[in-house]
Amino acid sequence: MTRPAARRTSLPLGLVLPATALLALALGYPLVRQVVLSLQEFGLAQQFGQPPAWNGLGNYRDLLTDSELWVVVLRTVAFCFVNAALTFGIGLGLALLMARMSRLVRILAQCGLLLAWAMPVVAAMTVWQFLFDTQYGVVNWLLTRAGGDFEGHGWLLDPWSFFLVATVVVVWMSVPFVVFTLYAALTQVPEDVMEAAEIDGASPWQRFVHVVLPAIRPVLLVVVLLQVIWDLRVFTQIYTLQKAGGVSADTNLLGTYIYTLGIKGGDFGTAAAAAMFMLLLTVVLTAPYVRLMIKQEED
Amino acid sequence: MRKIEGKSAVRLNKTLATKSVAVAAITALLGVTSACGSDNEDAGGGPDKAEIVVWLNGADTPDSARTWLKETFEKEHPGSTLTIEQQEWEGLVERLTTALTSADQTPDVVEVGNTQAATFTTVGAFSDLSGDLADLGGDDLLPGFVEAGSVDDKTYAVPYYAGSTYVFYRKDLFEKSGITEIPATMADFVAAAKKLKQDSGQADFSGYWLPGKDWRDGAAFLWDAGGDFAAPEGDGWKATLSSPESITGLEAFQDLYTSASGAPADANESDPVTPFCAGKIGMMSRPGWVQGMLTDPESGCPELAEQVGVFALPGSDGEPAPVLLGGSNIAISAKSPNQDLSRDVVALMLSEDYQTILAEAGLTPARESYAAKLGDDEFAQATIAAASNAKLTPPAANWATVEGKFVLEDLYSKIAQGGDVKKLAAAADEQIDAELN
Repeated sequence: MTRPAARRTSLPLGLVLPATALLALALGYPLVRQVVLSLQEFGLAQQFGQPPAWNGLGNYRDLLTDSELWVVVLRTVAFCFVNAALTFGIGLGLALLMARMSRLVRILAQCGLLLAWAMPVVAAMTVWQFLFDTQYGVVNWLLTRAGGDFEGHGWLLDPWSFFLVATVVVVWMSVPFVVFTLYAALTQVPEDVMEAAEIDGASPWQRFVHVVLPAIRPVLLVVVLLQVIWDLRVFTQIYTLQKAGGVSADTNLLGTYIYTLGIKGGDFGTAAAAAMFMLLLTVVLTAPYVRLMIKQEED
Repeated sequence: MRKIEGKSAVRLNKTLATKSVAVAAITALLGVTSACGSDNEDAGGGPDKAEIVVWLNGADTPDSARTWLKETFEKEHPGSTLTIEQQEWEGLVERLTTALTSADQTPDVVEVGNTQAATFTTVGAFSDLSGDLADLGGDDLLPGFVEAGSVDDKTYAVPYYAGSTYVFYRKDLFEKSGITEIPATMADFVAAAKKLKQDSGQADFSGYWLPGKDWRDGAAFLWDAGGDFAAPEGDGWKATLSSPESITGLEAFQDLYTSASGAPADANESDPVTPFCAGKIGMMSRPGWVQGMLTDPESGCPELAEQVGVFALPGSDGEPAPVLLGGSNIAISAKSPNQDLSRDVVALMLSEDYQTILAEAGLTPARESYAAKLGDDEFAQATIAAASNAKLTPPAANWATVEGKFVLEDLYSKIAQGGDVKKLAAAADEQIDAELN
């Protein structure tokens, strides 16, 4: 029955190695490259082969002393929370509603949500742009018909209304995922516990708060976490809307800001430094959720 | 035992979460991380047969020229193919920035706006064409464009075509408003634009179509007033949008936008056909090839297009106004493995046959001796008159990043929205100074 010790240790190691190597290559390399880049003076000339010069923490210093970064960060965080909250609220509401729908209606609703979820972002953005077009958009047409003064109204002109449109689009695209996930979780709430609570005289609200919510808590946390991450790094929607109208300098979020610094402005070092900053921000914002998730698994 | 398992699962979750966060942040920089090239191969060489990719921008190059280029090249090089990929002008700088750095993905021959060329020629993105210059036309090539494609006596990008915008107007609307003569001065022009708008009585009608982000046509009003974007100072550049002359010019733009244009303040000039064909435009500044889009029975409106007349935008002194000297250069990507074949493509694009097709479509040919091929109709006369006083943007190495970051689009759009011209100009000056120096 005794086996050589070497055999016992090498097999698991051999099994773990490929996965670890793949992770290190796919996740580690870009991260290391980005850190290195953020410490260099790396412009267009370096892109085409000239050796980069080391810049120490110069890129970070430039960034942190530039007031624009802080404005962009504030804007990004605000946009992220508003969108995550709206998506979550609407998604939870729809999921609860779906649990009470008749079969046919539910299937119809699910198909609709699935289509919105499956639509490629760029294609969806084209349609949204048509809808909100200044001169020929159907939104302006409808609002004018309804008695408003919206003829030739530029939705993307004012940063506030730009972000209103962006919020509508982003929430529209993210709600289906929340609905499906939460609906799946809701179907797992034990019937007998619900019944017992009802017999004990718990009101619907009490049942929701004290039975349903604790039961779906693990899923809720994951959904919120993912939503915050996704809304922090939102890029395509903002980028496309900026091309359609609006003033890009006033509507940059971190994603488009980094793109502007790097790809449009040809300053890759500073862009990498800004990306590091974004990474830090993501970690800070999501840390509480990750901690909660870990605590929950330990319990 | 269970406890330990739980813990390691937690740890895995944690690392996964942190890593997915890291990936999220890096995505924005993908273009950077995937582009790292240090293999500088020598110019020249390449296989005999290859699939050549040519990037042309916008609808400027007519279809007949594209077909000619493809067929001629493939006939002269059996076994090779030539594919033309059309790029949008908007966002071209960013696409070139990412595409030209990768030997696998780079197009072989690219068209680049004359004002954008310097950004790429100064960093070694293009192959040195100095040795081929004599064969391609030598001193006959448009000098301003050769200069735009040259650094330190070496030429990396050669002229492709030139073209400035001139004014398209609706003859029937002129008649209706009682404007009997083509405007001879800037003041006449502005008055005509305002009158057309007034007579239409429509908010979305443009006496003069001037989308808020169209700084390229808006530049004419800046220059006509004696202003400019930037001027050389010492070793570098100094933005001059706040000079009294520039302010006057920008205010003229604001006045014209407010009282004569019906285009959105945050739109650009990329689609003139839709509003024109909807009958919402009295006058507009567009390059000559737009006429072809208007007369196209499928995408245009031939009936309305029959009413089109053209003239060069008049300046305050009655001479043609200083409009932006538009046009393109062509260059070969330094990272392209097909250097020799690419040179043949460039030679074909500067050949008499090809340039004649461009000239017939209203583009000013790349060689001065071909100018006569433009013909002598109304369009040709307007082209020549507009080019006679045309101006370039500041020839600073980093000018393309000013364009790439939409500094001027944002400035003009904010002015069109009714912003304080002096404050906006001062803020734009600061941004331009930061980019150019």
